[in-house]
Formats: sequence, structure tokens, C-alpha cells
Amino acid sequence: MKKRGVGLGVSFYGTGYGNGFPDVSNAEVQLLEGGKVGIFVGATEVGQGAKTAMIQIGAEALNMDHKDIVLVSEDTSQMMDSGTAAATRQTYNTGNAVKIACENFNKRLFDLAKVELGLNSTAGLVAQDGDIYLGIFPQKRISYKDLSEKYKDDIIRVVGSFTAQTVKMDDETGQGAPYWPYTFNACMVLVEVDTNTGRVELLKAAFAQDVGRAVNPSLVKGQMDGGFAMSLGYTLFEDLALENGVMKNRKFSKYLLPTSMDMIDVENIIIEDPESTAPYGAKGIGEPVTIPIGPAILNAIYDASGVRIFNLPVTPEKLMKALRESEESEAI
Amino acid sequence: MMEIQLIINDINYKVDIDVNMRLIDLLRDKLGLTGTKEGCGEGECGACTIIMDGESVNSCLVMAFQANGSNIITIEGLENNGELDPIQRAYMEEGSVQCGFCIPGLIISTKALLDKHPNPTREEIREGMSGNLCRCTGYNKAIDAAQKAIEYLKEGQNDFKNSW
Ligand code: FES
Ligand code: FES
Repeated sequence: MKKRGVGLGVSFYGTGYGNGFPDVSNAEVQLLEGGKVGIFVGATEVGQGAKTAMIQIGAEALNMDHKDIVLVSEDTSQMMDSGTAAATRQTYNTGNAVKIACENFNKRLFDLAKVELGLNSTAGLVAQDGDIYLGIFPQKRISYKDLSEKYKDDIIRVVGSFTAQTVKMDDETGQGAPYWPYTFNACMVLVEVDTNTGRVELLKAAFAQDVGRAVNPSLVKGQMDGGFAMSLGYTLFEDLALENGVMKNRKFSKYLLPTSMDMIDVENIIIEDPESTAPYGAKGIGEPVTIPIGPAILNAIYDASGVRIFNLPVTPEKLMKALRESEESEAI
Repeated sequence: MMEIQLIINDINYKVDIDVNMRLIDLLRDKLGLTGTKEGCGEGECGACTIIMDGESVNSCLVMAFQANGSNIITIEGLENNGELDPIQRAYMEEGSVQCGFCIPGLIISTKALLDKHPNPTREEIREGMSGNLCRCTGYNKAIDAAQKAIEYLKEGQNDFKNSW
């Protein structure tokens, strides 16, 4: 028999290394030949969109077109450390470092512009699209290109550093503030359980994710889809058959990943509630998007069949066994 | 050693191969066409998908000598005079790529599908991509891209007709 059920999963997740561990990101910004601006940052791109997000944050902070920004990353001989692309930390932590470095860069250029333009002060200077000018008298203006020529023997390169604020939990009392910030999400699914075969089919899903502010909504939705699919696999198919630390099923024919046929269209909802300590309010979502899906599916299986599964993945065999056991216990 | 002749991306090749060489090794190691990826080497992941005589095949499962006399399209063959293929363009615009490892295979599967069925439903697209594993994206944006590519291809045909 086919039985349908709905389930909800919600989670909150602390991003960054957390628990008082020093979580430091650095970024450097340099005036390049021809007036372009280089952002040097250790953020590793693994497909999550770090490069795109860092350029966007830089473009916002520098008030210039993203096309005039050159991002250099992942070459440790050319840049300082920005920590790992892990712990859902690059957008928030390294994004903050990029923003701070850009702000320091602007200050530095304002000091130079003050000298070059013969001004008394940097007050009222504006940086826009590769020019610095005086707001109250815009004719007083100098371009990044001119500055880069004037200072070509004296490289203009500034650093920005951000260290996340977390407080280690007390070993005795468990008191502390181990993470900051947190992100929140909720997922609801409709499933169909085939009680003759133990197969679980997803029919519908909605997924809401708090991101603080979406630096790039398309990337956010891509991550939500990806996290959903990953968690779907984790919940229904993927079984790491470890024996003495060795994976016994090291083949895609034995370790099952969801295919496009297993995945469904997900109604992704981005929730924006800017975080005050974040770059333009943006928080990371890399790991959190994998979390509430499994619980939602398990709750839906329970709603459909009355069976609670506590061990993943919910293979058809496992579900059949649980269904049989629950029938037997009802019969007694 | 034996010599085979084949067409790859509209170019004629005459190459010496080992009899036990796989097609994927011929493409990647001998001819330097490294856009085609090897994920599993056993026909499960689709990263090595190419089009051979109009059919999408896993190049890790085909022996190089079996490609003798065939006409092959790899991901490198999609771009035309520096212009992206409409399918590639749609993948870019829809943000369908994350780490990218599966993408050459997915794009080739999309092409193989659209070459045969220019107007598939979303479900048919899902089916057409089901031989390609992707760890990152959840596939949905690739499906969006395929739907966008269908539109581009239709417009392209109209442009072509109008130009006459
Ligand atoms: S490498 Fe050919 S299918 Fe995986
Ligand atoms: S984009 Fe990473 S495997 Fe598909």
C-alpha cells in the first residue's frame, strides 16, 4: 500500500570554528597598474561561490564595478591566510576581512588624494568607480589610474583582518557563547511510503533558509538545492560501509548517490534578516542547508507509516523490517 | 599497437593506440582533450560522457579501437568560433555549475538529449540526465539550464530561418 505523510525539520547552526578557537581571516587589497584593484585572499573556491561573493563584497565596499576588481586567491605565496573553506565561515569571516581591507584601502587612498589634490583634510572625499573626489567640489578629483602611475614604485597594498567573536564553553558549567552568528532554517516534505517494498519517494518539498543577506541569491539557491540533494542521499541511500576504518563499498554502484531522478524540484525560500556583525549582513549557509532535510524526511515517514527510524540511511530493507515489527507488536 | 582513424570535434585523426587502451585515455592522455573527466572508470558516474555517432556513451567503457571510424563530439567541440554553445551559455547563466567536475558530462548528456528530442518535458530532462552523478548541485539548476537551452535553440533556428 502507498501511504503519504508530511514532515517538518528545523535547525539552527553556529557558523565558524567556534568555541573560543581563534578564527582569523585576512585579506589584502592592492592598487594595480591601470587603476584596477586587486583583492588577495586565501578563500578557497570549491564551487560554493567564494570568489564571486568576495568580489561582490569588495565591489560594494570599494564602490566600484566588479569588472575593475581582480581577485587572486588560493596561492599561499601571494597572500595571507584566510582560514579553511570549511565550517560555513568564508562568507561571514573572510567576507568581513575583505570589507575591512577595502575600507582601509579607501582610507589610504584618501590620504594620498589629500596630498595630490592639495587639500587640508580627507573629510568629504568620496570613492566612486575608480575616482576619488571631493563631494562639495567634485572638480577636485583624481583617478585610481593616475594614483597607480604616481605611486608605481611604492606599492599601495593594505591588509584587513577579522577575528570572529566566540567564547569557549566552561568545562564545568557548560556556560559560554560557542558560536556567532547562527543561521536558522526549516524544511517541509511530502513523501510516499510503499509499504510493500519499503521504498520512500519524495513528492514535494519547501525549504526556507536564513542567510542574513543573500550576497548572490542564485548561488544561495544553488547551495540550497545541493544541500537538499546531499541530505536526501544521506537519509535514504548513502551507507558508508566502514570496516576497521576502510570503506568496503568504494564504488558508485555500491555507494548510492541521488541521481536527477531521485531529486525533486524544491521550493527554496531565502529569508533575509541582516546580521549586524556580518559583511552587509551576510551569513554562510554551506553546512546548515544539509541539516533539516533528514529530520523532515524521517518525520514524514513516521507520519505516513507510523514507524520511527533512528538509524540512517532508511533503506527499503530497513524500513520493511521496521514496518513488520510494528505490525507484529500491534498484533500482540 | 594499431592505427585507427576517427573524427573528433570535426577534426580527422589518425592515431596509434595500444589495443587495450580505453577511449577516455585516448582522448585525455593522448590527444589532450581533458575536458572529459574520469570519475569512476566503471560506467556509473557519467563524468566521461561523450557523443559517439550520435549516441551518448561513457568513454571509460569504450575501447579506443572500437572508436575506429567513428564520429565523436566531446565538450571541447561544443564551442563554435569562440562562441559558447547555447547549452553551455544556459548552464552559465542559470548558475548550474558548482565544483564543475560533472559538468562536461552533464552538458554532453543535455546535448545528446536535445539533439534527439528538441522539446522534452522537465521529467524527460531528469531522465536524460540520470546517468550523470553530481555531488554538488542537486541537478535542478542543470534542468533549468536545459529548459533555457531549448528556448535558445528554438530562437537560433528562427534566426537561421529569418536570415534566409
Ligand atoms: S568515468 Fe566513465 S562513467 Fe564514471
Ligand atoms: S558541480 Fe560538483 S559534481 Fe556536479
